Amino acid sequence: MAVVESPLAGKILEINVTVGQTVNEDDEIIILEAMKMENPIFAPSTGTVKEIKVKAGDRVNEGDVLVIIE
Amino acid sequence: MGEYGFSLHPYFKEMPGIGKDLPREMKQNVDEIKRVEKELADAVKKVTDAGKAAQDINSKGEMTAWQRIEYLVDSGTWCPLHTIYDPDTNEEGTTGVIDGLGKIAGKWAVIIASNNQIMAGAWIPGQADNILRVTDMAKRLHIPLVWLLNCSGVKLTEQEEVYANRRGNGTPFYRHAELEKLGIPVIVGIYGTNPAGGGYHGISPTTLIAHKDANIAVGGGGIVSGMSPKGFIDQETAENLIEATQKLNAAPPGRAEIHYLNTGFFREICETEEKVLDKIKQYMKDMPAYHPDFFRVAEPAEPKYPASDLYSLVPFNQRRVYNMKEVLARLFDNSEHMEYRPDYGPEVYCGLAKIDGYLCGIIGNNQGVLGSNYPEYTDQYQGIGGKLYRQGLIKMSEFVTFCGRDRIPIIWLQDTTGIDVGDTAEKAELLGLGMSLIYSIEQTDLPMILIVLRKGTAAAHYLLGGPNGNNNNVFTLGTPTTEIYVMHGETAAAAAYSRRLVKEKQAGKSLEPVIEKMNEMVKDYYDKSRPVYCAQKGFVDEIVRYTDLRNYCKAFVGSVYQNPTSICAFHHMITPRTIKG
Repeated sequence: MAVVESPLAGKILEINVTVGQTVNEDDEIIILEAMKMENPIFAPSTGTVKEIKVKAGDRVNEGDVLVIIE
Repeated sequence: MGEYGFSLHPYFKEMPGIGKDLPREMKQNVDEIKRVEKELADAVKKVTDAGKAAQDINSKGEMTAWQRIEYLVDSGTWCPLHTIYDPDTNEEGTTGVIDGLGKIAGKWAVIIASNNQIMAGAWIPGQADNILRVTDMAKRLHIPLVWLLNCSGVKLTEQEEVYANRRGNGTPFYRHAELEKLGIPVIVGIYGTNPAGGGYHGISPTTLIAHKDANIAVGGGGIVSGMSPKGFIDQETAENLIEATQKLNAAPPGRAEIHYLNTGFFREICETEEKVLDKIKQYMKDMPAYHPDFFRVAEPAEPKYPASDLYSLVPFNQRRVYNMKEVLARLFDNSEHMEYRPDYGPEVYCGLAKIDGYLCGIIGNNQGVLGSNYPEYTDQYQGIGGKLYRQGLIKMSEFVTFCGRDRIPIIWLQDTTGIDVGDTAEKAELLGLGMSLIYSIEQTDLPMILIVLRKGTAAAHYLLGGPNGNNNNVFTLGTPTTEIYVMHGETAAAAAYSRRLVKEKQAGKSLEPVIEKMNEMVKDYYDKSRPVYCAQKGFVDEIVRYTDLRNYCKAFVGSVYQNPTSICAFHHMITPRTIKG
């Protein structure tokens, strides 16, 4: 199981996956807006999206869990 | 195998790899970039189609400047520069010269041609600056300057724009003399009628090779017939002019027979246009140049990953973060490199790589998240790539200083939003460290080029190998994703109008008129930072497709190592040893 955490504080701009979806390593799963930049968050490994903890527009802090991939 | 063995091969023969395969094509991104490329292609076509039609020139038995360049330059080596440069927005849409880097008879040269389709190659506004950019390149690269001259002199209806001034059209003659002082030859092939300014363009180079119908003269037919002005034109003057012009058209001053047989200024006289170019090739063959393998550190190799990946890797959306190392992997020989201090100043990449087998220093702005403990001088905010902080500025100063010592040319890849601001940043000495980097660059006396991959913003645009470093920057390239401005339009609008907004609010007035003005400013900033605008104004020397970037890098390093003014033995170098530790 891979837990995808937010690398920095910011706002969730886009969520590109849905629960149950298969993702490949390095797929862009979330776009996080921080420091006026849009930072893609990549899937750390290939697997299935088990849980999405955030929705577009949410503010997150560094270390917050965003997605769980199984 | 090359002609020679390779020095310090344990360092350079096989370096650590960089990059990985592109996961997937980003279709929308590719389309956006291709759309800008089309805009650029249209702007270039407007210039290449400008003036007299090629067939009209050809029907007189002459070649166009473009045709002369094509005949002269070794196939596949031409790297055009300043194609749409037109800083004064001339009605001709060009400065009337065509230039670039190319190989002639196997040797690199800076090449410039009068565009004989535009007013017979006249001096028009912006041309002096274009020529000075070109003479600066020959000076910095220490390679021959080759002119294909066909210049009718001042465009008389705009003489006040071109004739006088410190950087006017007389300045190149001094620059030619300066190049000779530095041991750099200027070779000119002379075509057509070159009176006055054209005459000095003809006489100022080192070696003059003329076509049989060419002439160079202190003054042309028009001037000779009108040297005693009465203060007005009357019938008698007009009749005299007609007679003098008819006579001089038949035999203009300074013909080949005068300057070949009489003065001996012309070293060669050629029956055909092509033979002039053949003669230039012959002279270029004998120009001083090291064998390419003398300075190579390994066999040349193409990158492992195709440059076409860059259309997916570099986001068109300027706010979108990407991995600069994946860009570098598509420029470096065999996608190999040696990174300098990767754990220090993470917002900046510094490293050594091979381009066409030659050693080269590379500096680029890393993008994206830098880790929660960076910059180390504050816990109030996190750093992000594209911005510059204390460690990154120190690292770049160290790296350019090492490269200067080791005589390694530098390629900069710029995508910057500026230097960190605020009192915390001031206490961290960023203002001083920025200037320290400029000082370090200037002290290296190294040739460098800059690729503005995306944003060139604020003073960081100057520091990161900017074109403003006239003694180091040979040329600056833009790409379809380039944008250059002092700050983003919205930031500028906020800076310019925030007080006005407060005032209007306090007075109970509508904010709409101010907001409208602010949005006009945002649009103006956008329009005046686009790639075509940047190239027309000279912020960059050419906008280049991603797939052509490496060719320009190869032309640059090949030129640098052709006949350098100073060298460092590979086994005396410190940079690779510092990286190895």
